[in-house]
Amino acid sequence: MGNKNDRRTFLKGIGFGSVLLSTMQYSLSANEENQKVDKSPHYGMVFDQNKCVGCTDCENACAEINLVPKGQKRLFVQDKTDQNHTDEKRYVRVSCQQCEEAPCVQACPTNASHRDSITNIVTMNADDCIGCKYCIVACPYDVRFINEETKAAENCNFCLNSNFKEGKKPACVEACKYTALVFGDLNDETSYINKLLRVKDSVRMKPGFGTKPSLRYIPIVKLGV
Amino acid sequence: MNESINFTVGFTEGIGWHWPIAVYLLLAGISGGALILALAIRFYKKQTENTAVYKSSALISCSTIMLGMVFLVADLEKPFVFWKILINYNFSSVMSIGVAAISVYIPLTCVIVIYAFEKEIKSLFGFLSPIIDLLKIVRSPLEGVTVFFAVIICAYTGFLISILVRFPMLNTAILPALFVVSGLSVGVASLSLVSHKLFKEDMHSGDMKILHKVEWPIMFVEVMFLSMLYVGLLVGGASGHVAIEGFHSGVWANVFWFGVVGIGFILPLVLNFALGKKMSNSLAVFYTSGLSSLVGVFCLRLFIVYAGQIFSV
Ligand code: SF4
Ligand code: SF4
Repeated sequence: MGNKNDRRTFLKGIGFGSVLLSTMQYSLSANEENQKVDKSPHYGMVFDQNKCVGCTDCENACAEINLVPKGQKRLFVQDKTDQNHTDEKRYVRVSCQQCEEAPCVQACPTNASHRDSITNIVTMNADDCIGCKYCIVACPYDVRFINEETKAAENCNFCLNSNFKEGKKPACVEACKYTALVFGDLNDETSYINKLLRVKDSVRMKPGFGTKPSLRYIPIVKLGV
Repeated sequence: MNESINFTVGFTEGIGWHWPIAVYLLLAGISGGALILALAIRFYKKQTENTAVYKSSALISCSTIMLGMVFLVADLEKPFVFWKILINYNFSSVMSIGVAAISVYIPLTCVIVIYAFEKEIKSLFGFLSPIIDLLKIVRSPLEGVTVFFAVIICAYTGFLISILVRFPMLNTAILPALFVVSGLSVGVASLSLVSHKLFKEDMHSGDMKILHKVEWPIMFVEVMFLSMLYVGLLVGGASGHVAIEGFHSGVWANVFWFGVVGIGFILPLVLNFALGKKMSNSLAVFYTSGLSSLVGVFCLRLFIVYAGQIFSV
């Protein structure tokens, strides 16, 4: 009898314990999930000057996918080749630097130029924009423009309303045959962009403005071998 | 600049804001400046009647700020949705703060017009009399508040463009101060001209004498602030050197030296001090020096808007 009882309590104990365990497990995983939600993303992009050949495929893909009017650009590849060394080609990506402290967001009187609440990407709401151009003069990088068709101010928003929505990488990144562009979440320690930034020397464009841009550039550096 | 990597093109090709903004900046300056001066004279001399200067300031401040709004709205890419600026506020934006200030300031200037033309309005629209009498109870405090807002209007136009980090000539602390002082300077000019032309105020009356007297210290401070702006850029390192070119090259340098300095400062000085008493008391000199100071400050606003944007970093 006593044995039987013992056995029952033992079984009960296991049952109870496992319930306890599983709830603990559950709360743990819930915590993990919460943490993921709490750690909001910070999307960034790397432009590797060593790999860019200046083919402008990214430019064209961007204009096509984001319906940028002909002749206008969210993204431009500038040829910065030194005229005395034309054999050493140098190209630079010109686009919104996705500042963490964005003057365009601060300046906009209607909140049309704003930071997306989920992705934290600096983007725009064309309907609310009145076209005062304050954001355009406020942007230290001069990379905003008035879209001739919508008459609203616009910037590169990592394809937030096009590719990003469909879970794809920005059009320029997809289009680059030479993997000169890398896109990812800088707040995710395991992301490829972070791995890349850990091993490569990269710089921010005109950091003196103090707006903490999220674009990084890997410049061509000659080691003098 | 010897950065390892850089781009040197932009999407606006230099100019984002054009001359309508300069016109607006001028009109806002006139509006605020005229009101500050007229009310200061009123408080200082403890006037209770509606003087010619007071009436002029009412007309000037109300009409110029409204006209300014027209230019501001016309410069929008989507002028017909301008009302969105009134319902979407962003208080980290100087423009939003300015719009809030203007929405208080414009009604205030309208009330000043009602005070100034009380008799005329009452005789034309008798049914308004009770409202006007009600408004008159708070006349002095309201006039005080109006001066405060007039200063804000002048200053905010300076802050509006002084936060633009890409343009070293604009991105200076002196700009709001310069805008207040040059606003006062056009305030003097427009008050004298309108008082004389429209309200037949004697050129040598007491109020006009005050206006004439404060004109020179105001001009002196204006010159001082401009020199500070210049010297600040001169010693301001690489970015300052980019911007200081604006004073020396291109069409806007001419606008500065001929318009701001020549017409705005030297011409009135010569007319009033170098040509003898008889000349300086003449009607022709009165009008020319008033108009030249208006032209001078307009040139200053144009210069700031264009040269400021062209010589960017
Ligand atoms: S680069 Fe210009 S448009 Fe992009 S976030 Fe910064 S201020 Fe805004
Ligand atoms: S142009 Fe549009 S987005 Fe830019 S500041 Fe004005 S309202 Fe905002």
